[in-house]
Amino acid sequence: MTRDLLVVDKVTKRFGGLKAVGGDAGLSFSVPEGTFLGLIGPNGAGKSTTFNLISGVLKPTSGSVILDGKDLSTARASDIASFGLGRTFQTPRAFPSLTVLENVMVGADNEGETLLSVFRGSWRPRERALRDKAKEVLERVGLTERINDVVANLSGGELRMLEVARQLVRDPKILLLDEPTAGVDPSLQAKLSRFLVDLHGEGRTLVVVEHNLHFLLQIADSVVVLQNGELLSNGTPGEIKSDEKVIAAYLGADHAA
Amino acid sequence: MNTLAQTALTIVMFGSLFSVLTLSLNLQYARGGMINFGTVAYFAAGAYAYAIVTQEPPHGLDQYLVGLDAPWWAGFIAAGIAAMAFAILTGWPTLRLRGEYLALTTFAFAEMLSSLLVNERRIGNGTVGLANVERPDANILGLSENIVYAGAAFLLMLATAYAFSRLLASPYGRAIDAVRDDEVAAQAIGKDIARLRFQVFVLSSIPIGFAGALYAMITTLVNPNLFSAEVTFFVWIALVLGGERTILGAVVGTMALVGFQEAIRAIPFESVRAAEIAASAEDIVTGILFIVILRWQPFAAFARRRQPA
Repeated sequence: MTRDLLVVDKVTKRFGGLKAVGGDAGLSFSVPEGTFLGLIGPNGAGKSTTFNLISGVLKPTSGSVILDGKDLSTARASDIASFGLGRTFQTPRAFPSLTVLENVMVGADNEGETLLSVFRGSWRPRERALRDKAKEVLERVGLTERINDVVANLSGGELRMLEVARQLVRDPKILLLDEPTAGVDPSLQAKLSRFLVDLHGEGRTLVVVEHNLHFLLQIADSVVVLQNGELLSNGTPGEIKSDEKVIAAYLGADHAA
Repeated sequence: MNTLAQTALTIVMFGSLFSVLTLSLNLQYARGGMINFGTVAYFAAGAYAYAIVTQEPPHGLDQYLVGLDAPWWAGFIAAGIAAMAFAILTGWPTLRLRGEYLALTTFAFAEMLSSLLVNERRIGNGTVGLANVERPDANILGLSENIVYAGAAFLLMLATAYAFSRLLASPYGRAIDAVRDDEVAAQAIGKDIARLRFQVFVLSSIPIGFAGALYAMITTLVNPNLFSAEVTFFVWIALVLGGERTILGAVVGTMALVGFQEAIRAIPFESVRAAEIAASAEDIVTGILFIVILRWQPFAAFARRRQPA
């Protein structure tokens, strides 16, 4: 029995009077360690809000989000990353004044980022190991040839991979990906799904938000379906595919679109 | 010494001195992303701290309360501490603010300090200021005072440039760049934005305090008029002229601006009328030069070619 790494417990989020997530009872689900969880739902279902609640960008109105025993709903944004939660953004965010390699190197928690370390020069010995690790990660995401490039020269898909690389160098306990296929060339999507399957195969815990249902059903091993901010269904891709509520609410709408 | 050499020496002296301010501003703004429109306040804090620590206790018509009569080096250290303390005081409540809001609050803090110095005469005799500021005897080295102080300003500039370049070349500099580029993304990789911004703000104010002490030594006078908002804008213009983000650019921009002003002042005038005309012409020519420089950015291009930062 694997333990639950992330527990979303009776979470609600209201914007003014609007019940964005959780309705009255609250949204609850958990992510066991090593799971590849897909979070799906039609537009406006509350996927992004849920994602932001898990990653600590938004604070829940009630309920709690616990990562490995630590309450994210009261933690500061920078601490959440230090607790082991890695995330990407729906619109990729890179640091334009840094090179591709530096964008990844800056991702690591670095003891060299203190004034004392700068003063003593004690960051230097570690820098080489960090550089090697960053290069290794960049090779994994297929950006080896771009390491000295400026990020302005990267394509949308490459920026997404750069974000993933920046998180992987931190070795997060759980990695949250926000719409990884958005803006990515269909020919690259197959490559992306292989990459995610590889990460999962290494035992990493992944949570992927997508509106591209077919993409997720092929590779996730557990799926949470949201509708109107509430849990519609929760199960394996096989169960989800045959769930009539999901077919009515989501697949129907998807096929109609 | 002939006039040309005198002018050159003055340019090196004040150019180096104000370069320290430009370098600090470069770190705060171009790298740290914080707009400080109160630069002069940290400069004034350093100058006044130096004067108060080194001057004799009050007597006669003096209205100031404290004069410690301590040696110059104690005053110099006090100047750095005073600027740092003022940065902690002003940075703590304001650094959560972004962009123009931070610009306004830092400007307001500087105006408050200026007003305090004018009205609270027990600090430094109000508008009269503190004259005959103590300074080390330069004759010990057997050189003229101007050469000694120009050298001291140059050394302070080099030390500041060295310290900042060392900071920026480290993982710390990388983290600062990341925070300036995108705070949300920086938080997502665990960067403590508040800590980094505060540290950069406080750290970069220390050399400004030292420069203030040196300025007090050179002029042997501190009064509120010397520390008006004009100083802040002067430093900002120097930074823009030199182009942001390079250490060499900050220095070249400041030197060029000081050089231009000193060159105009060095022109010998036959009559008061001629000097008056020259003074107004200086403003016009300065304006035209700014436009020309901003259009073609010669100093920025020069600095970029020499040193990619």
